[in-house]
Amino acid sequence: MSVLRPGDAGTGQRDACPSCLRRGRLLAELSPVLDRLAGDRARLFAALALSEHELLDALAGRRRRELAESLLRVDTEELAGTRAGGQICRHAAVCPPALRRQGADGALFLAGPTARLTALTAAPVVAIVGCSDASDYGIESARRLARGLAACGLTVAAPLDCAIQAAAHEGALEAGGACLATLSDGIDAPVPALRRHLHTRLMGNGCAVSELPGAVRGRRWGRHAAVRLAVGLAAVTVVVEARTGSAEMAAAAHARELGGPLGAVPGRVGSRLAAGPHELIRAGTRLVRDAADVLDMLPDARGCAAARGLGAGARGAQGGPARATLDSCSRRVLERVGAGGDTPDSLARPGEDPTELLLALSRLELRGLLGRGDGGRYVLRSAASAL
Amino acid sequence: MLARTHTFTLEGLLTRPVTVEVDVRPGLPAFAIVGLVDTAVREARERVRTGILNSGFEFPARRITANLAPADLPKAGPGLDLALACAVLGATGQLSREHLESHALLGELALDGALRASAGTLAVAQAAREAGLRTLVLAGARAREAGLIEGLDVAVAERLASAVRVLNGGRGDPLPEASQPRTQRAERSAEPDLADVRGQPHATRALVIAAAGGHNLLLSGPPGTGKTMLARRLPSILPPLSVEEAIEVARIESVMGATVEGLIRARPYRAPHHSITAAGLIGGARQGWVGEAVLAHNGVLFLDELSEFARPTLDALRQPLEDGSVLIARARHSAIYPTRFMLLAATNPCPCGYAGASERCACSEADLARHRRRISGPLMDRIDLHATLAAARAPAGAAQRDGEGRVSSQIARSAVLRARERQAARLRAEPASLNAHMDTSVLRRHAQPTVEAVAMLECAAAGGLLSARGRDRVLRVARTIADLEERERVEARHLGAAIALRPDSATAAGGAR
Repeated sequence: MSVLRPGDAGTGQRDACPSCLRRGRLLAELSPVLDRLAGDRARLFAALALSEHELLDALAGRRRRELAESLLRVDTEELAGTRAGGQICRHAAVCPPALRRQGADGALFLAGPTARLTALTAAPVVAIVGCSDASDYGIESARRLARGLAACGLTVAAPLDCAIQAAAHEGALEAGGACLATLSDGIDAPVPALRRHLHTRLMGNGCAVSELPGAVRGRRWGRHAAVRLAVGLAAVTVVVEARTGSAEMAAAAHARELGGPLGAVPGRVGSRLAAGPHELIRAGTRLVRDAADVLDMLPDARGCAAARGLGAGARGAQGGPARATLDSCSRRVLERVGAGGDTPDSLARPGEDPTELLLALSRLELRGLLGRGDGGRYVLRSAASAL
Repeated sequence: MLARTHTFTLEGLLTRPVTVEVDVRPGLPAFAIVGLVDTAVREARERVRTGILNSGFEFPARRITANLAPADLPKAGPGLDLALACAVLGATGQLSREHLESHALLGELALDGALRASAGTLAVAQAAREAGLRTLVLAGARAREAGLIEGLDVAVAERLASAVRVLNGGRGDPLPEASQPRTQRAERSAEPDLADVRGQPHATRALVIAAAGGHNLLLSGPPGTGKTMLARRLPSILPPLSVEEAIEVARIESVMGATVEGLIRARPYRAPHHSITAAGLIGGARQGWVGEAVLAHNGVLFLDELSEFARPTLDALRQPLEDGSVLIARARHSAIYPTRFMLLAATNPCPCGYAGASERCACSEADLARHRRRISGPLMDRIDLHATLAAARAPAGAAQRDGEGRVSSQIARSAVLRARERQAARLRAEPASLNAHMDTSVLRRHAQPTVEAVAMLECAAAGGLLSARGRDRVLRVARTIADLEERERVEARHLGAAIALRPDSATAAGGAR
C-alpha cells in the first residue's frame, strides 16, 4: 500500500501516453497467457518486450478482436486511476534512460512521486538478483553488499519477493540509502504480509514501480517481470546466489543482452546455490566481494564515492579496522566461521576449552563481526560501524 | 440417637475434613443425606443400606438423617460410604461410639459389604495426621500408601464387619501382600545414561546447565540428532526427590487413582504428544483429574515437536510457568494444583527439519515464517537456554572424538548436585530456591558479576543485543555456569557462554530474517 496521503494527489504526474497505458491494461488482461509462458523465461522476456499491437498479435489468440475493441473503449483517465502516484512511459522525457534500452513501449506505474524515481535513477542503480531458497550465507552477502552500496550513494533495485531481495533492501535501509523496489503485482495490490513492514519502511525515501496497473495480481510471471524490470533499470547487475538454469540465470543473461556489466558473488565450491555465479565467473563475469568491487565496474562512480569521502570506507566494509584489534583466539574463531563452521560443536577443536569458545563467539557477536541466523547458527557479518 | 464419624473429601489435591452426623429417630422410614453432596454420595444411600444388611447388621426402619458437615463444602466421591455406614451403625448402637472421635474412615462400600479403596489415600492420610486423628481405617488395596505417613496408625478393613471390629477396639485385617516388584518404579534396570548420547557436547553441556539451575531449555536441530534422547536423560542428572517432594508427587498420583506402593525417588518425566489439548495439559476436565503439567510437578515436562503444538495449548502453560501452580475454576468446583516443573522443548528449525544446515531444506520463506511464529510467544519468554544440534558429521578422528565429550550421568549429576548446594546456601534467605527463579532484585543481590562481566553486559545492552529482560536471563544462566565451575563471582567467560546459549531474539519475536 502506498504511504502517500490523499492530499498528495497532485504530486503524481501523468507522463504516460494513452497507448502505453493501454498496454499496461493489456498485460493485465493477458495475465493467464503470460503465466503459461512463465516456464520458459526467454520467451516470457521476449513477450514482455513487445508493444501493444505486437502483444495482441502474438498472444491474444481468439480474443484478439474483442480485446482490441475493449481497449479502445477504455477511458485513459480511468486507466490512470484516481490514486496518487505517477505513471511514466518510455516516451516521456522523465523516463530513466536505462529503461529505454529494454525496448518496447509500456507504462510504469509508480507508488510515489515521479520526481523521486528520477532522483533515484540519477545515481547509479545496482540490481541484486538471487534465488528464492537462499542460504544464510547468500542472504547475509546480499545484505552486506547492499549496505555498502547504499553507503556510497548508489541505489539498490530489486523485487520484494524472496529473502535475498528483501535482505538487499534491508541492508540498503540500514545504511540510510534509498531503495527501488520493483513489484510483481500492481501498485495497489496488497503487499504480502511478510514484506509489509519492509515495504512501509522502504517507501519512506524510496520508490516502488510496477508494470501492472491498479490492484492486478502478477501471479507467476509477475515475479520474473519484476526481476527483468530491476535489471532493466540498473547500470550493474549482481547475481548473489542462483542454481544453474534458473530464472535468476535468465535474468543475468538478459542483463548481458542489455549490455550492462554483470557481477557475481562466489560461494562454496560444490554448493548448488553457488553453481550459477561460479558458471558466470568462469565465463568471464567479474567477481564481486563487496561494494568496492561493484564501484570498480562503474565508469564514474568512483568519483561520486570519493566525493563523499567514502572510498576507503567501502573497502573497509569487510571489517578490516575492526579485525585488527582482535586477539588471536577470536581471530581464529572468526576464520573458522568463515570456513563454514556455524554451530559451537562444529567450531570446537579437541583440546580447547568449550567455554572459552563460547566466550569468543559472544565477544565477536557483541562487536558485530558475527551474527546469529536461524536456529542460532553463526554467520559472518561486517560491523555496521566499520562503514 | 446421634453418632458422629470423621472422614475427608478431596478438592483437587487438597483434602477437607468432613464430619458425618447421623440421627436416627422414630418416624416414617427414610434415609436423607444432606450437605451439598454430589451424585456419587447421594447414591451412597443404596450402597450403605445394602452393605449394612449384607454384613449381617440391622438397617433401622426409622427416620434416618445424615448430615455431612460443613454444610457449605461440596462433597464428592464414593469414599464417604464407610463413614456413613459406621455413623448409622453407631447411631443405632450396633458399634461402640467410644473410638469414633479418634478414627478417620475412608472407603467405598460394595453391595456385599466389602470395602473398596478410594483415590487420594495419601492426601487423606496426611490430612488425618494433621487433624490429630490417631488411626485411619481403610481398605487394604491402598493401605501401604497411607502407611508412608509417619505418626498415623493404619487399620486395614476388607469388609464393613472388620471396620466395626476395629471401632469396637479389636484388630484390623492383615495387610495384603505387596504387588510384584515390577511396579517398583524407583529401581529401573535400564535407566538411560547421558553417556549414550554421542556427538553433541554443546547440547549436553546445555542440559547440565539447565539441570543445575532449573532453567528451561529449548533444543533445536534436524531430525535424528538426539534431541529426544537427551531429553529422556534429564531426569537421570537431576537430584533425586526429597522426601517432601516425593510425597507431593505421590499425592498427585494417588489423586489420579494410581496405586502408590512406595515413595519413588526418580523425578517425574512427562512427554505428552503434540496433539494434546489445553485441558489435557492443565487438567480440570472433571474433578480430580489432573493434566500433564501437574503430573510433571517436581519433575520434567518435555514438549517434543514444539511447533506442532496448538497455540491455545501452549498459551495454557503461561500460568503454570509463571506462578508454579494452576487454578482450575469450573462451575462446580475450583482447585489449585502445583505445577513446578522444568520445561524442556525440542523443535526442528523448520517444517522439513533441515533449515540452514544444508541445501536439503525445501521450505519456502512463508513456511519458515509460519514455523517461527508457532514457537514464539509467552513460552519462549520463559525459556532461558537454547542449544542447536547439528547433524553429526563423520568425524576425522573418530576414535578420539568418541571418548571425549561424553559425560556419564553419574558425573553430571554430582556436578549438578554440587551446584545446587551452592545455590541453596546462597539463596537460603530468599523465596527463590533455584537460580532460574531469581527475580531482578534477588539477582542484583546475588549475581556478583566482575567488572569485566559488567562491561560485557553493558556492551550487549548498548548494541541492542539484549533487552532488559534478556539481560536478567543471561545473568541468571551465567550465575548457574559460575556455580558449576565453583566460582564465587560471575566472570566474563560465564557471561559469554550464557550469551551464546541465549534464545534467539528472532525465535522469540517471530521476526523476519
